[in-house]
Amino acid sequence: MSTHQLTLTVNGEQHHLQVDAQRSLLDLLREELGLTGTKKGCNAGDCGACTVLMDGAPVNACLVLAVQTGGREITTIEGIASGDKLHPLQEAFIEHGAAQCGFCTPGVIMNSIALLRETRQPTRAEIQEALSGNLCRCTGYFQIIDAIAAVAASGEPV
Amino acid sequence: MAIGSIVGKGVARVDARGKVTGQTKYAGDMRLPNMHHGKLVFSPHPRARVLAIDCSAAVAMAGVKRVITARDLTGSGRYGYDVAHRPVLVAEGEETRYIGDVVAMVVAVSEELASRAAQAVVVRYEVLPPLTSPRQAMAEGAYLVHADAPGNRCCKREFSHGDVVAGFARSEVVVEHTYKTPRQEQAFLETESGVAYQDEAGVVHVLSSLQDPYGVAEDIHLALAIPKSRIHIKGTPVGGGFGGKLNTTIQVHLAAMACLAGVPVMLVLDREESFIFHAKRHPTEIRLKLGAKRDGTILAMEGEVISDAGPYSGRSPEVVGLTMSALLGPYRIANVATRAQGIYTNNLDSGAFRGFGAPQAAIAREGLLDKLARELGLEPLELRRRNFLQPDSRPASPMLGDSPVSLEALAEKIIARMGPKPEPAVGSSKRIGRSICFDMPVFDVGAIPTLGKSGVGATVEVHSDGGVSVYAGGTELGQGITTVLAQFAADQFGLPMEAIRVEMSDNWTCPRAGRTSASRLTFGLGNALLLAIEAVRQTLLTRAATTLGIAREELRFVAGQVQSCSAPERAIAFAELAQLCWDKGDNLREEGWFRAAEDRYMYGHTFMAAGADVAVDLATGEIEVLKLANVLDMGKVLNPVMAYGQIYGGAVQALGYALMENMVTKDGLAKTPSFAEYAIPTAVDIPFEFVAEGIETPYPTGPFGAKGIGEAALNCTTPTLLNAIADAIGVELDAIPVAQEHILAAIHQQKRI
Ligand code: FES
Ligand code: FES
Repeated sequence: MSTHQLTLTVNGEQHHLQVDAQRSLLDLLREELGLTGTKKGCNAGDCGACTVLMDGAPVNACLVLAVQTGGREITTIEGIASGDKLHPLQEAFIEHGAAQCGFCTPGVIMNSIALLRETRQPTRAEIQEALSGNLCRCTGYFQIIDAIAAVAASGEPV
Repeated sequence: MAIGSIVGKGVARVDARGKVTGQTKYAGDMRLPNMHHGKLVFSPHPRARVLAIDCSAAVAMAGVKRVITARDLTGSGRYGYDVAHRPVLVAEGEETRYIGDVVAMVVAVSEELASRAAQAVVVRYEVLPPLTSPRQAMAEGAYLVHADAPGNRCCKREFSHGDVVAGFARSEVVVEHTYKTPRQEQAFLETESGVAYQDEAGVVHVLSSLQDPYGVAEDIHLALAIPKSRIHIKGTPVGGGFGGKLNTTIQVHLAAMACLAGVPVMLVLDREESFIFHAKRHPTEIRLKLGAKRDGTILAMEGEVISDAGPYSGRSPEVVGLTMSALLGPYRIANVATRAQGIYTNNLDSGAFRGFGAPQAAIAREGLLDKLARELGLEPLELRRRNFLQPDSRPASPMLGDSPVSLEALAEKIIARMGPKPEPAVGSSKRIGRSICFDMPVFDVGAIPTLGKSGVGATVEVHSDGGVSVYAGGTELGQGITTVLAQFAADQFGLPMEAIRVEMSDNWTCPRAGRTSASRLTFGLGNALLLAIEAVRQTLLTRAATTLGIAREELRFVAGQVQSCSAPERAIAFAELAQLCWDKGDNLREEGWFRAAEDRYMYGHTFMAAGADVAVDLATGEIEVLKLANVLDMGKVLNPVMAYGQIYGGAVQALGYALMENMVTKDGLAKTPSFAEYAIPTAVDIPFEFVAEGIETPYPTGPFGAKGIGEAALNCTTPTLLNAIADAIGVELDAIPVAQEHILAAIHQQKRI
């Protein structure tokens, strides 16, 4: 099996790694970098649990090959708080009860960050549309949408 | 019991921070030194005789630690709730019973290698014709899935009350119909996962995503002959369960792999394996018949349920029994004869799923009530109201609950919340339908007549620094029980939430608490914890009374102190008091034990109402849920944010059940084993307007008057949507899921009502 040299930035930290050609970004994060906050719900691009930001855009990490991420900047759920201060979306998810089992939560939050960076004041319908690739089996989405709408309304930078 | 500032407030979940930061460690996130990876080899055939298993190629692969077949197992090699007839591994010479049966397992240094080695295991099968429907399995001469189950009958339940023949004879209107419900998949986001290892003392530790650590320990003991004192089960944070992790899933396999390979082993099922492996909601066929007087008084009900139990018993007797009991719903029916059977097949397995058999019953009952209302020329809501259980009447049901009936209050509330029915735009091809349905979902503490009663224990400990630990063996599935228990302790000790630490789901550290199902934890575990807390409070009060020179009755726990009620300045800080007790040798660790009284089972009902407005486009068949409302009598709303979260989540699962979900099998094979094929609701599928509300009729045996609500929202939301669609298009619906194409076909066939 062929391996490749890879340099990428994850949560602001640069990594030089030797990776297998078949390795997904998701497995790279979870297995080699110990960043298990990003979840594997299907490994097939169907659930959104593995959503991370690649150069600011949301991607399903299970569908991205690690070797494609050379020189890219990856942000995961572990990289969005500033020290002890949580990201506004993290705060809002706590306040609105938007995480139940929590397994979908990292992916949903990463996708929401991308949404709010793109669209400062999304309508509820736009939030729903943006989340349509993130499955959540627990919440019925309602409180997730509330949480995102609250951050949008607050005008806090995301 | 005085209600303090924390109980009843939407305080943040105690596990929320870990979940929103990605720090929560689910089973699949664990990493142990020298951890190896397991892989199961499943039977590709629903029914086949295993002729030979050749592991030589897999064994020869570098990095493969161990390949295991049935002959390696010590103990019975069988496990299972109800009947321990499920093989851990199907042995050579034996038959497989479904495609979730496992024939071998591999332990290797990496997940990737374990997969390749599993593929290198060569199994020769004699493929046999499977039984793929209950009807086929019940037919004369059908082969037996289990030799000791004649007629392939897994279970049978019967209930009769009054004189059903006379009831129908006196009825002026009789309606009858048959309803079909599909196999619904729990579709939790976290697949079955766990790690296991055996320590130097021979203790097997299994850390896994599960709903019942005690049941898992029992199964490991049964299957592998490991003494119970050497089995440690620790439930990890669960990424969704909904009943699908109630029975033992992979934990016996994990324990066997860890013991036989002699290394820590991780096993995480992939999505397809998960969809195939665990037991799902029973597909059912329900024939139901109702007789009534012209004024709408229902005189008789007759019902027959046939459920596809799949290959193994598991929860089927309980679930199928509840389908039968729940046919009656929250109505007074004097004459009843109902029967339910679970039938073995070689399809995917059936078992527990939120609602536990009751959602199927609600579809039939509420559907047939609408049909009866049409026959009688009565408003469907009026018909229901005329037959509501009255506050003084107990249901004519095998389930004698003890919670106050509040159906009229619910009816008033749901009518108010639904408001006026919207009108479609003039000239639009859309039609709008409305339905309001009722149910009385059950919650229990230990309630299965055939299995005896169960008790629930919880322990609380006050540390010398004034911090509090709670040890409670229920499992946090995301429903919020950890937070509820912390609220109870904070309230009772007058402490902030941060002072309470709740440890859950561990058969070693927590008193026996049984399974996390039946919406039972807030009720059962909550009551047990309150008993434990009260014992510790008494010790603290005695010490405080001596120290302060104030009578115990004069003291209260508030704001981090024990203080005099009349002179609050006379107080001792909680932490100081705890230290004092410590120094004096007082015991500040107590266990509470809550169980049903000797002469009855402990049940309650969470009465509920659901309302829906649905728009259906007659031209395209498209269905839009304009509004969905769920009102539950929760007894006491302990934490509104979490309680409403349960309602929203349950209601959307019910919406999926009504409109899109069906785990299809053909010839015993799964046709939809991925999220691409098995669609569940996404954020764009939810109701346009969504109302969740609780009313509070205090439940005398509930902690703070509260009842269990975890499953409730699901129950009658599905028929409410179905009936609203039928109302919109004027066509009777008797099967789910109802999708666009079904609507068009129904309109086409003009099965007008
Ligand atoms: S794990 Fe990547 S989309 Fe499901
Ligand atoms: S919170 Fe459980 S899947 Fe979303």
